[in-house]
Amino acid sequence: MRPYFADLPKTALGAAYWLFAVYLLLPLALMTAMSFKDASFVAFPITDWTLNWYAQVLNDKQFIEASLYSIGIALATTATATVIGVWIALLVSTEGIWGKAIIFALACLPAVVPGLINAISMRIFIRTVDIPTGTAAIILSHAVHAVPFVVIMVLTRLRSMPANLVDAARDLGADRFVAFLRVTIPYLMPALLGGMIFCVLTSIDDFVRTFFLGGYKPTLPMLIFAKVQGACRRKSTPWPRSCWS
Amino acid sequence: MVDTTTMQARSTGSLRVPRYAGWIGKAVGSGLYRHTIGRLADSRRARLALLAGVPLFWIAALHIGPIFQMGRISFMADYPQAPDGGSAYTLANYELFFSDQLYFMPFIRSLIFAAVVTISTLVIVYPVAYYVAKIVQPKNRMRALLLLLIPFWAGELIRTFSVIMLLANRGAVNVALRELGFIDRPIPMLYTSFSLSFGVIYLLALYMLLPLYSAIEKIPTPLIHAAADLGAGPFQRFRRVILPLSKDGIVSGCSLVYLTSVGVFAAPLLLGGPNTVIFPEVIATLFHSSNDKWPEGAAFAMLLLAVSLSTVGLFMRVIGGRSVRLM
Repeated sequence: MRPYFADLPKTALGAAYWLFAVYLLLPLALMTAMSFKDASFVAFPITDWTLNWYAQVLNDKQFIEASLYSIGIALATTATATVIGVWIALLVSTEGIWGKAIIFALACLPAVVPGLINAISMRIFIRTVDIPTGTAAIILSHAVHAVPFVVIMVLTRLRSMPANLVDAARDLGADRFVAFLRVTIPYLMPALLGGMIFCVLTSIDDFVRTFFLGGYKPTLPMLIFAKVQGACRRKSTPWPRSCWS
Repeated sequence: MVDTTTMQARSTGSLRVPRYAGWIGKAVGSGLYRHTIGRLADSRRARLALLAGVPLFWIAALHIGPIFQMGRISFMADYPQAPDGGSAYTLANYELFFSDQLYFMPFIRSLIFAAVVTISTLVIVYPVAYYVAKIVQPKNRMRALLLLLIPFWAGELIRTFSVIMLLANRGAVNVALRELGFIDRPIPMLYTSFSLSFGVIYLLALYMLLPLYSAIEKIPTPLIHAAADLGAGPFQRFRRVILPLSKDGIVSGCSLVYLTSVGVFAAPLLLGGPNTVIFPEVIATLFHSSNDKWPEGAAFAMLLLAVSLSTVGLFMRVIGGRSVRLM
């Protein structure tokens, strides 16, 4: 095996990998170092060290509240998106249904629409149907964004499921609903877990949808955005928001 | 067939309802269940309705609805409409876009920016993905990949902030260069198109890495060996064997990065400057400076959506990948 690869520029590729790893990790390492800096402004070099900032953050009521709010939104998003995602995947995987390809394509639509456009169209939509900006709107938009990914993960898993598992359960006397609960759902568990982790992460991290759909209560990314902007620059955002004062 | 026999058995009562262990068993055994879900599950019509109802409603209302409504508003003269306005549809919002450089230039800039970011990401990430997929020993492969995935757990804004600290006038790069004596005064890197592209590539590299990795990993290594046996040099092997076989990964990676970078919003606010205003900022301003500019904003968003999706569609046609795989 080796001789064939001997002439490949292996070392160059290895170097590319390690350079890339440094590129990805260095900024975060620098930021971590900065969080221990004993000074009130963000700049290098770091001469004195302190744990003070962490103590301050842990005592910051606004920060704690924003974190809890973000976590709550993420949990609600995950529950909604998982249920709907599994439901759509089941529909798409059912045999003998007309227009499955179209349903699947439309189910994936929010994944290919750029985030900003997604957020704006949702903003227009919730105004049309009279949902106020705030928690419900944020959860809805996060769920819409997450559903395609859940559908894809669950479908991939469903396609690998032997059909006779459900048949066996039916033969043993389970009706279709029980077979679904006791056979299909446990089989889907890995995909469900993956989907849920994805939902939580994207929801907690989301900025642009919350920016357009949020009320005056800041989520964690909104709070971080406000702080970063306050720390780094004075260029104003497109419009003022009272929660940033 | 199974359906009818169970149903008959149940209605005549000759067969006892099956019993299961645990709470599911208790719930299923109850009369309430048998008369509601139990009956639904036995009828094909009801089952289909149950299966299709919620998903179709969700897709129609929340996947299509918002885009449709945005498209409708983009043709309106003003929104919300005046009470006596009736249906005042117009093309003025689209004409505005083509008549004013203030709107046109950021749009072009956005498309060029996204294209440059996509190509740079592809060029940067391809060797890395190849290294992890083909050269790292299989037992270390997951570890090599995970090392690269760590930063992506940190979140969009956090990573943007860390890029700021790297590139700022008193950031790590400038301070290091000054300490080493290469420069006297800091190179202004932040708030330029350089910092913006640097940051966006940093944010989006993962979307390129994963599809590329999974595509390259699927290439059978014997094929590469065969090409070598037949006398192909490293470059020829790459061009004639590896590159065509990783086409699927290239197409999905590029589509994902392109579509995301066209609509990138937080990064330009934090990393961009007055010379790097790209289209999302323009759209956002229209939406929130005051409420009466929604139709213009909707029209601009529709344009961005149409152009970016058709660019990706065209790209997929030309390169000939079978489909966009998101994972």
